[in-house]
Amino acid sequence: MRFTTLDGLRRWLDKLAEEVDLVAPTDVDGHVLYRPVTGSDQILFDYERPELSAKDFLLPATEVLLRIEQKGKEVALEEVLPDRKQVLFGIRPCDAHGIAVIDALFLEQDPPDRYYRHHRERTVLVGMACTRMWDGCFCTSMGGGPTDATHLDVLIRPGEEGYFLQPVTPKGVAILEGLPVEEPKGEPLPVEEYNEPVPVVPPEKWRPLFNDRIWMRHGERCLSCRICTYVCPTCRCFDVTDRVVDVQPGLTRIERIRVWDACTSPNYRRVAGGHNPRPTKPDRLRNRFYCKFCYYPEDFGPLGCVGCGRCIVACPVDIDITEVMQVVAKRA
Amino acid sequence: MPINEPLTQQIREHARQLLESERVDCVIGYEASPRGGARPAFVYDPAEVDRLIWSPDCVHNLTTYLHDKKKPRKRGEEPPRVAVVVKPCDSRTLNVLLAERQIERERVVAIGVACEGVVGKDGQPAAKCGRCTDRTPVVYDVLVGEPPEAPPVEDDWSDLARIEEMPPAERLAFWLREFDRCIRCYACRQVCPGCYCTICMFERDDGLWVDAAIDVPQKHIFHLGRALHLAGRCVECDECERVCPMDLPLSLLNRLLVREVEALYGHRAGREETLTPLLFELGPEGSPI
Ligand code: SF4
Ligand code: SF4
Ligand code: SF4
Ligand code: SF4
Repeated sequence: MRFTTLDGLRRWLDKLAEEVDLVAPTDVDGHVLYRPVTGSDQILFDYERPELSAKDFLLPATEVLLRIEQKGKEVALEEVLPDRKQVLFGIRPCDAHGIAVIDALFLEQDPPDRYYRHHRERTVLVGMACTRMWDGCFCTSMGGGPTDATHLDVLIRPGEEGYFLQPVTPKGVAILEGLPVEEPKGEPLPVEEYNEPVPVVPPEKWRPLFNDRIWMRHGERCLSCRICTYVCPTCRCFDVTDRVVDVQPGLTRIERIRVWDACTSPNYRRVAGGHNPRPTKPDRLRNRFYCKFCYYPEDFGPLGCVGCGRCIVACPVDIDITEVMQVVAKRA
Repeated sequence: MPINEPLTQQIREHARQLLESERVDCVIGYEASPRGGARPAFVYDPAEVDRLIWSPDCVHNLTTYLHDKKKPRKRGEEPPRVAVVVKPCDSRTLNVLLAERQIERERVVAIGVACEGVVGKDGQPAAKCGRCTDRTPVVYDVLVGEPPEAPPVEDDWSDLARIEEMPPAERLAFWLREFDRCIRCYACRQVCPGCYCTICMFERDDGLWVDAAIDVPQKHIFHLGRALHLAGRCVECDECERVCPMDLPLSLLNRLLVREVEALYGHRAGREETLTPLLFELGPEGSPI
C-alpha cells in the first residue's frame, strides 16, 4: 500500500498525461463522464458513479477497423490500431468487473477479438474505491463491492488526508513507479452506506420463466431505446458497416467501422426480407435480461451484470433490473 | 409527489367499467413506481385497476404506446381497443395521429384529465406546464377532474431567447457541444409519439442518409432531421427532452419550428385534427420557407 496526497496524485497524473492516453472522470456540462484528459485539472477526484461505464475505451462506441482505398484497379487495405499506452484512471470497481465480463468473450474465447485485445493490452486500469454505494448500486450481490480490487491493476482508496494506492498486478506496480510517495496518514475511508442485497437466481432457473407474464408486465412500457445497453459496463453487442468517406475521379476511400449496437433496439434482430424474430418490446427486454443471467453465463462463464445500477437510474420508464430479479427469485 | 386520491379513484372507476364492459382490451395509465414517482402501466384485467394512480408525477405522454396497439396480437384477429389516460398536452397527439391515420377513433377511448400541471425530472413544475393554455384535453371520451381556474397564459417563447441571442457561430458551437454529449441512444425518438416510421431514415442499414457512427456529424444530422420531421407535428409534450440521459435541450429545436409553423400557417399541432401544412401546402410563390 502506498500513500500520497492529492497534490502528489495530481503531479503523477500530469506526468502520465504527457506519456500515455489518460482517461478520467470529468464534469461534462453537469454530467460525470469518463473522458480523455490532458491534465489533472480536468479530473474529478470526488465524484459519484460516472453515468456511462468505461467500456468506451476498450470497445469504442465508434471504431475504425480498416481503411480501404481504391485507386483505379488497385485496392489498398490499412488497419488502424493506436499503440500508445492508455491509463483509465478513477474507474469504479464495477467498471473493472464489467471489463472482466467482456474479457470472457472477447479475450478468452478462441479466436479472441483482435481489436479488443489490442486495447486491453495497452490499457492499465487504475480504480477508485467508492465510499458509499450509490443510487441503484447492487455490486455486492454480483460478486463485487465498493472497495473490490479484483479486476483492477491498481486500487485507490481515498483517506482523510490523501490516497492509499494498492498495486494489484505487475502492470499496476509498473505504472506507480513515478508516484511521489509519503508516510501514510490516517486510514482509508470506510464505506458509509451499503444497499440492500438483491437475490441472484442461477441460469437454469430462468429457463422455465421464458413465457412468464413478467416480461409483458415490464416489457410493455419499455421504449426500446438503447440507454440501458449503452450505459452498461457489460453489454458489448456491436455492428460492423462500411462507409464511403471520399470519392474523387479514380479514387474511393472507404472505412470499415464498428459501432455499438443494442438488443433492446427494434431493428437489432431484423433479418433480410424484413422478418424480426423479436418483434415486440417485451421480446426484446426479456432478451436483455436472459442474456445477462442465462445465456452469457451458460456460454461464457460470468454473469452479464455486475450490479452497477446505471441502467436503473437512467431508464426513463423505471425498468429496474433489481425489481425484475426479485420477481424472478419469487417465481423460480 | 402525493397521489391525487379523487382523480385516482375516478380513473380506476372508468378503467373498471371499460374493461368489464369489454369496451376496451387494455387501459394504459400510470402506476406508482417502486423508485418513487409514477411510471406507465398497462392494465388488462378489471381486478387490477387498483394499480392505476394519478399524481403530479404523471408526466409521460402515454399516447406513444398506441403505436404498439395498431396491429392485432394474433394474425386474423382485430387490433386491440385501448383506453389511454391523457393530459391536455398528450391529447393533442391524438389529433395528430388521427389526422395521420395512425389510430382509429373508435378503437381508442381517451380518459382525459383536467390537469393542474405535472413535475419534471428535477421535481419542479414542468416547463411545458408553465406555458400551457389548455388545462382541459382537446380530445376525450370521459373527463376526470374539474378544469382548474387557470388564467389563460400567452406563450411568450421566452425559453427560446437564450438561443436566439447568440450570433450564428456561437449558436452552432452551442449545438455541437450538446450533440457531442448525445450518445445516440434514440430514446428521444423512441418516446416520441410522432416518430413512428417503421425504419427511421437515420437508422437504415445501408446508411443512405447518415452512417451508423456515434460521432458529432451523424448526431448533428439526426437531430436537425428529426426536428424537421416533427415540424408542425410536435405537440410540445417535451418527452424527448425528459427521457434524454444526457439532458440535451431538445425542446429548443422543436419549439423554434413550432413557432415558425405557427407564424407561417397559424397551425399548432394537434389543436385540431389536421395534418401539418408544412409538407403539403404551398403558397402562390411555392413553399413559404
Ligand atoms: S429498459 Fe429503459 S433504458 Fe432500456 S430500452 Fe427499455 S426504456 Fe430504454
Ligand atoms: S445490467 Fe444494469 S446494473 Fe447490471 S451491469 Fe449493466 S448497467 Fe449495471
Ligand atoms: S426522425 Fe424522421 S425518419 Fe426517423 S422516425 Fe422520426 S419521423 Fe421517421
Ligand atoms: S435521448 Fe438524448 S442522448 Fe439519446 S439520442 Fe436523443 S438526444 Fe441523444
